[in-house]
Amino acid sequence: MEIDLDFGPLIASWRFLLGGLGLTLALSALTVLCSLVLGGAVGLARCYGPRWLRWPLVFYIDSMRAIPVLVVLVWGYFALPLVSGVTLPPFWAALAALSVHIAAYVAEIVRAGIESVRPGQTRAALALGMSRAEAVCQVVLPQALVRMLPAFGSILSITIKDTAIASVIAVPEYLNCSQTLAGQSFRPIEVWFVAMAVYFMILFPVTRAVDIAYARLASLGRS
Amino acid sequence: MTAPSVPVLAYENVRKRFGSFTALNGVSLEVAHGEVVCLIGPSGSGKSTLLRCTNGLETIDGGRILLDGAPLPPDAAGMRRVRRRMGMVFQNFELFPHRTAIANVMSGPLTVLRMPRSEAEHRAETLLDKVGLADKAKSYPADLSGGQQQRVAIARALATEPEVMLFDEPTSALDPETIGEVLGVMKQLADEGMTMVVVTHEMTFARRVANRVAVLERGALVELGPPAQIFEQPQVARTRDFLSHLGWSG
Amino acid sequence: MTLDWAIVWENAGALARGAEITVLLAVATMLLAIPGGVLLALMRLSPVRPLALASAGFTEFFRNLPLLLVIYAAYYILPLTTGISFSPFATALVALALNVSAYNGETFRAGIQSIRKGQSEAALALGMSRAQVMREVVLPQAARRIAPVLASTWVSLFKDTSLVSVIAVGELAYTAMRIRSQSFRVLEMLTAMAAIYWALGYPQAKLTDWLYRRFGVRE
Repeated sequence: MEIDLDFGPLIASWRFLLGGLGLTLALSALTVLCSLVLGGAVGLARCYGPRWLRWPLVFYIDSMRAIPVLVVLVWGYFALPLVSGVTLPPFWAALAALSVHIAAYVAEIVRAGIESVRPGQTRAALALGMSRAEAVCQVVLPQALVRMLPAFGSILSITIKDTAIASVIAVPEYLNCSQTLAGQSFRPIEVWFVAMAVYFMILFPVTRAVDIAYARLASLGRS
Repeated sequence: MTAPSVPVLAYENVRKRFGSFTALNGVSLEVAHGEVVCLIGPSGSGKSTLLRCTNGLETIDGGRILLDGAPLPPDAAGMRRVRRRMGMVFQNFELFPHRTAIANVMSGPLTVLRMPRSEAEHRAETLLDKVGLADKAKSYPADLSGGQQQRVAIARALATEPEVMLFDEPTSALDPETIGEVLGVMKQLADEGMTMVVVTHEMTFARRVANRVAVLERGALVELGPPAQIFEQPQVARTRDFLSHLGWSG
Repeated sequence: MTLDWAIVWENAGALARGAEITVLLAVATMLLAIPGGVLLALMRLSPVRPLALASAGFTEFFRNLPLLLVIYAAYYILPLTTGISFSPFATALVALALNVSAYNGETFRAGIQSIRKGQSEAALALGMSRAQVMREVVLPQAARRIAPVLASTWVSLFKDTSLVSVIAVGELAYTAMRIRSQSFRVLEMLTAMAAIYWALGYPQAKLTDWLYRRFGVRE
């Protein structure tokens, strides 16, 4: 069976695709930033915040585990404006929705990292006369952060993959551009092969780095 | 059963390399029927390696190992048959955590000897009783102390009625209080005439129970002789150095 | 803005059928992806280098691609390369099964390799064959470690089935969004969609938590 390949249309549209790639990377970077901040705050609040705050936070985290990213994105773009009166352009709607979804995972990583530090460490810090805040910032968090690092790496990987779903709400990131080009050029095989290569080349170094980080951490042992 | 004149185990010029590192550099040794030989020496001297070569967990690169005068077979099925005739006890006990103590002891007879269940169970009960743990038959390893786990491990190794027992630092992972109970079982086995090769740091045990002590260093057999010689009148300087390092004053 | 929640009840049947397709797709995927994962794990652990490399390559390939991309690629490329026209459901199944097999392969491999070498040595020292060692000692312990991770993968898979809505597979997301476009009841339908996924996914997530607590590794 013959398949003749013609990468012409792809090469002709390289600027278009590059724009898409830029948007993918920009959306990924901003999402990671926002979800780290939001998720970090939620995780800390869950561990050290007032008791009444815990169950709404747990509800939020568990809900994000149950609802697909696609659903959150679509709801955020189409339904949220009807409720809040605020209409966000696709890129920012995607950023908000993805950040909210991924922050839940970050919150869980933060919680697990903090809980993995032996309670004796906090007790020792308090016994030295440190305030609760000092104990957390100077003793617990530095240890917890080291353990969280590999998991944060996988957040990066997950985020980049999830930005592709933003194509569904018309964000012109790389997948969306590939879709457009595949339809226009009638060269889907070439377009999709290149798309797979591009995403692979971005993601492979990230997952490799995460694997190495996990291995390093395992050899460091536990306290 | 072998005629007492043929050694149970014979090591002839055994060599073993791991990459560029020579773990065993031509070790020769014989273990007679009913004899207890203790292997001592600094870490990295090849004691554990020699033991693991004995039952084929490691393959040797030169020389021969003979069981009852016959060299260890090169094929997997033959090696499996040989392993039934040897029992091994590990430093980390290595009980199967998903099985009870008695199920652990029955592992050899059931799976390997294909014994009927009731017979295997009876044998296991007898062995657990022998090591003093009859009441712990239905306990899981996680519920047993280190010393208890190791005694179950000894019972498990004895279940296939081996001709020789191999002990790889059996007490190194134990709390001091429980070392005694394990050494007690090992002494009992020795008194009953079991042929034993024991890699150990417990010099008191070696002094009291061993028929001969072999000192290994850097893959070579440095000195071999009865405990009285090794511990009180070592012939070789390196033996003296090793023992004094341990603070052994005889 | 007036809300008309009746639209949800009126379409309850269609939504239920959509949910059925979601479940069917997830179950069918797992039925393929568990043997697929076992095969990949065995290949990866085998001493035959080409097999191990092929398995590693397959796994790395699918771990490093967005699932949505795999779905689109399958949709366009499968018919052109095989000459067979696949239904959207079949295309979705292929894409999902390949993707989840890769993750399962890693899960099974890591589970098996996490069992201490000493355990197989102790079993070998008793005289067991390699197959007996696997069956009696390694796999029963590995299964305990694998179970919670497999449950976690299932929960992800269940959510990921929503992605195949883009190639018009009639699962829950597609059905809900179709009703939305036909009825213009955007807020009601999208909220109902989120709520149904929540109702289905929340218990699954909790069950997974329970599995991690029950079988979690205690070193």
